Amino acid sequence: MNERVVVAPGAIPADSEIADNEVDLAPAIKVRGYWQSVLHRLRYDWMTIGFGLVVLAIVIAAIAAPLIAPFDPYQQSIVGRLKPFGWRGHPWGTDELGRDMMSRLIYGGRISLLMGLAPVLIATVVGGMLGVIGGFAGRVANTAIMRTMDVFYAFPSILLAVAISGAMGGGMINGIISLSLVFTPAMCRVAETATAQVKNLDYIEAARASGASTLTIIRHHVLGNVLGPVFIYASSLVSVSILLASGLSFLGLGVQPPEPDWGLMLSTLRQSLYVDPLGCALPGIAIFVTSICFNLVSDGVRGAMDVRG
Amino acid sequence: MLGYVIRRILFAIPIALGVSVVCFSLVYLAPGDPLQTVLPPDATAETIAIVKHAYGFDRPVPVQYAIWLWHVLHGDFGRSIASQRAVTLEVFGALANTAMLALFAAPLSFIVGFGMGALAGCFPGRATDRIVTGAAVIGVSLPNYWLGLVLVIIFAVELMVLPASGMGQSGSAAFTLWHWSDAQFLVLPVTTLAMIPIGIIARTTRAAVAEVRSQDFVTTLRAMGLGEGAVIRHVLKNASPQVLAVMGLQFGYLMGGSILVETVFTWPGSGFLLFKAIINRDIPVLQGTILALALIFVATNLIVDLLQAVLDPRIRRA
Amino acid sequence: MTCSALKMLSWCGAMAGLIAGGLVAPTSPAGAAGVLKVAMTAGDLPVTTGNPDQGFEGFRFVGWNLYDALINWDLSKSDTASDIKPGLATEWHIDPANHKRWIFTLRQGVKWHDGCDFSADDVIWNFQRISDPKAPQFFTQQFALSRAYLTNFDSIEKIDDHSVAITTKFVESLFPYDMSYVLMISRCRAQALNYDWTAYANQPSGTGPYRFAGMTAHERMELVPNNDYWDKARVPKQDRLVLLPTPEAATRTAALLSGQVNFIEAPAPDAIPVLKRANMQIVSNVYPHNWPYILNFTRGPFTDLRVRQAANYAINRDDVVDLVGGMATPQYAEVPPSLPYYGHPVIYKFDKAKARALLKEANCLPCKVTLAISTSGSGQMQSLPMNELVKQQLEDAGFEVTLNVMDWNALLDVSRSGVPKYPNVDGMNASRGLLDPVSAIIKPVATAYWSPAGSNWGHFGTPEADGLVKQIFEEFEPEKRLALLTRLHEYESEQALMIFVVHDLNPRALSPKVHGFVQAQNWFQDLTPITVDP
Repeated sequence: MNERVVVAPGAIPADSEIADNEVDLAPAIKVRGYWQSVLHRLRYDWMTIGFGLVVLAIVIAAIAAPLIAPFDPYQQSIVGRLKPFGWRGHPWGTDELGRDMMSRLIYGGRISLLMGLAPVLIATVVGGMLGVIGGFAGRVANTAIMRTMDVFYAFPSILLAVAISGAMGGGMINGIISLSLVFTPAMCRVAETATAQVKNLDYIEAARASGASTLTIIRHHVLGNVLGPVFIYASSLVSVSILLASGLSFLGLGVQPPEPDWGLMLSTLRQSLYVDPLGCALPGIAIFVTSICFNLVSDGVRGAMDVRG
Repeated sequence: MLGYVIRRILFAIPIALGVSVVCFSLVYLAPGDPLQTVLPPDATAETIAIVKHAYGFDRPVPVQYAIWLWHVLHGDFGRSIASQRAVTLEVFGALANTAMLALFAAPLSFIVGFGMGALAGCFPGRATDRIVTGAAVIGVSLPNYWLGLVLVIIFAVELMVLPASGMGQSGSAAFTLWHWSDAQFLVLPVTTLAMIPIGIIARTTRAAVAEVRSQDFVTTLRAMGLGEGAVIRHVLKNASPQVLAVMGLQFGYLMGGSILVETVFTWPGSGFLLFKAIINRDIPVLQGTILALALIFVATNLIVDLLQAVLDPRIRRA
Repeated sequence: MTCSALKMLSWCGAMAGLIAGGLVAPTSPAGAAGVLKVAMTAGDLPVTTGNPDQGFEGFRFVGWNLYDALINWDLSKSDTASDIKPGLATEWHIDPANHKRWIFTLRQGVKWHDGCDFSADDVIWNFQRISDPKAPQFFTQQFALSRAYLTNFDSIEKIDDHSVAITTKFVESLFPYDMSYVLMISRCRAQALNYDWTAYANQPSGTGPYRFAGMTAHERMELVPNNDYWDKARVPKQDRLVLLPTPEAATRTAALLSGQVNFIEAPAPDAIPVLKRANMQIVSNVYPHNWPYILNFTRGPFTDLRVRQAANYAINRDDVVDLVGGMATPQYAEVPPSLPYYGHPVIYKFDKAKARALLKEANCLPCKVTLAISTSGSGQMQSLPMNELVKQQLEDAGFEVTLNVMDWNALLDVSRSGVPKYPNVDGMNASRGLLDPVSAIIKPVATAYWSPAGSNWGHFGTPEADGLVKQIFEEFEPEKRLALLTRLHEYESEQALMIFVVHDLNPRALSPKVHGFVQAQNWFQDLTPITVDP
């Protein structure tokens, strides 16, 4: 890395202080039971466990939506539009088409979580692989990969997401593709930095000298060291991804109706802001709560994984 | 040092070129016709062909890119399909308005964020730390466009103390910063925009301060009998390069990432221009805006790197 | 610096930032005396170089204010359907010897805003500007924006200084309607600026009731009264007209409530009760607009008349009207009953059982259809919720609906290219302006207008419809022509040409300080009689 120590992209919120930690993480000699000790530390971090349980609850609610949701999230009622909390058994009232707000928020978790997790997962796999290849391969391949990444890295994240989604048109798939593209370069850098650091360590040299193939070395020695920083970084991106995805939907560039997506619900309910401010606030609160919980859990896990702790 | 500067600048050139390729090719992902705006809904194939030819959209794409890049290098971004104005004028006018937001939001978030972070870093684990850390996490987790809507409802519609949208009584051209009647239009967008950078800077500062405090030299300083104030001065000085780097990047973010906030407040900046260009499929404006914003971001990163190198000699050797 | 000092500093910073607004005495954001400030739905300011863009809203606020056409629209009454009236031409008639030749007598004594006199040469020059690529004043953008109204224009000749003759390609008794969309700009000003259209856009000159007073691109345009306007009754009564593009409905509402503007287009229906509580005036009126689904007649279920009828019986229009807060009227035929050629169309009253029976008879149960809809767009009303409601209603009656949601530009492409390019789209939700009979009921059925060459999107075509259209075009007797138009309109409803849903009522909200606005039954509106209290 010739240009900066800070790996984190400035445009992406909530990522900034990871920077130095992971650079220090990699050379840690893998003592047996590292993951056990991380878990051990997490066990006494009540805050993280608490917020983790909230995340878990949101995920379970989303998966088990058909079992939990009191109503069909698509069932409209023209007489029952924008009704207040508790109206005729609708615990959180109804939306602008008389659909049950609670059910839509529960189902909305499916899409919003998908939009939050899928791009991060794709970026982790693709960016992580590119990074390991870039870190391990020779100068030419490294330059080709990393300089291409630098180009995409040169865009503020929301700008790149809006530009790609805006160009390709709205829709969930396009949204996932554009957000994956946004996160890949940063992920690639994290993986490349970590790989480059372990690559020159003695025991890798030793493995190489003993005739192990590159693939074996990567599988046995590199991946283990790269996984930690990549995982930490990925966990911090989930909340960013949820915020960006809902922002795209808000601009009309993300999920398309009638799907219950929190960002989209916010966007359509906004027209009713003056009639039912509380109802309109709900999707915003859902986005906020999910995003803050992911952030805090990510903070907690990072703290536990920080060997210098 | 000079070598580093030159190397770093040379490194930025291929990036800028790559950015221009991305900007140019983005718009060819678009479904539909690039000339939608100028054509009436029932334009015939013959009309479309004539108009396409007049705008040069019938040439091969690489040729279009070469021509476009040549013009861009001469400061000519083409003409807006919708308004017929030079894109350069459009983009720079809008950038000035975005810069106005950024120039207020940046100091606000730097001061508040740094203050909060330093405070928390001074008392790690205490109640102050927890409150500040909590507030910072809220800042980075809030959907800021939603916050903008809530602020409009409270301050513009309910309390009627601040305007809801737009830029000044008579538009951006006549905007007078030192008249409250115009300046009041800044308050809500600037506050909304500053929320995320405050959170990020507070978190970075806290981490940096806490880290420096745990280093050996602090113990040494204390052992040497320095007062707490002097120790903290040293701590902040040592934490500053890292904080500065993040601040610089946040400034780039404020310039390039304000599309949601500008859309909520109909602020006539570059983000709103971009949003409208997407809606109208105004390709030259779309290309020009994204390119200008990305280049500003590249330039900001460059300046931050150079500043960091000045502050922290270790980087120069890397 | 100590930590407590830091603490003070950070808190002061936070407080200052958050409540700066609250501490300083706010000044009233309301406008100056007699200034009408309009928040338009358009995403941008319409172009000023002649025919505006931004759809009919561009015509409404910029086109008709700066310019006149040979023929204008009468916007003075709210209780009758509005029709065309003399504009820059005082009279027009067909040449008795040649039914393709129209003679226009031009108004005398009209001056352009730049002081030049209006003459026949100006009219000739204007037509060359938008039709002759070899003319120095030819302007591609204006060519594109006026092309749709020149499909039947062949040539123009000067008879004398105060009359011109326009020859059409085919006989069309309704041709004068086309001429009401071709705005005349000043040759004098354009020549003085050496045909630099960018410069012209910043100092346009027309004959209209308002003069251009300046603009900030994308943000606002200011117009002032043209006190020398040729129609003395329409000299604007307010001091100044400010136009602000504000595409977000919630933003328009907030701008009106906070006093930043005093006239907004299309408030969100749900915001209307709130606006009323704040003493805002809500005005609305029927106008020739419809919100239907245009159908595919080349393939798919809608080629069967029974399926089209079933779809029409399946729609509970009252619920749709409720959804938009009463700001629409049920649509049972192509045009609203207020138009003279409405006649006695079939009324497809909501009847779910009948719809299902028809589908069964047509052997299409469940009947799978794909409808293309847009997320927003000019005249699309509350597109998403309305489409979702219609989908539900159709499905209740035995359809299986796939909504193909796209952005407005993508839908425009579907709309322009027609069924040849999009054969798998069974129907398309595109609101339509029905100002003149040709665009309202002739273009959707005549084979001469098959897409992509015209706006008969789904390639409807029957000898009966074509025959009626031919008769209409060749009938120069207004009474007889009206009877034929009425017959055509009734025929289209018998054919269930579209899925008819609602007519928009086009609500507007005005501050209590605004007086004198008369909402005409038209897409265009006259702002000149409006006064604004200080």
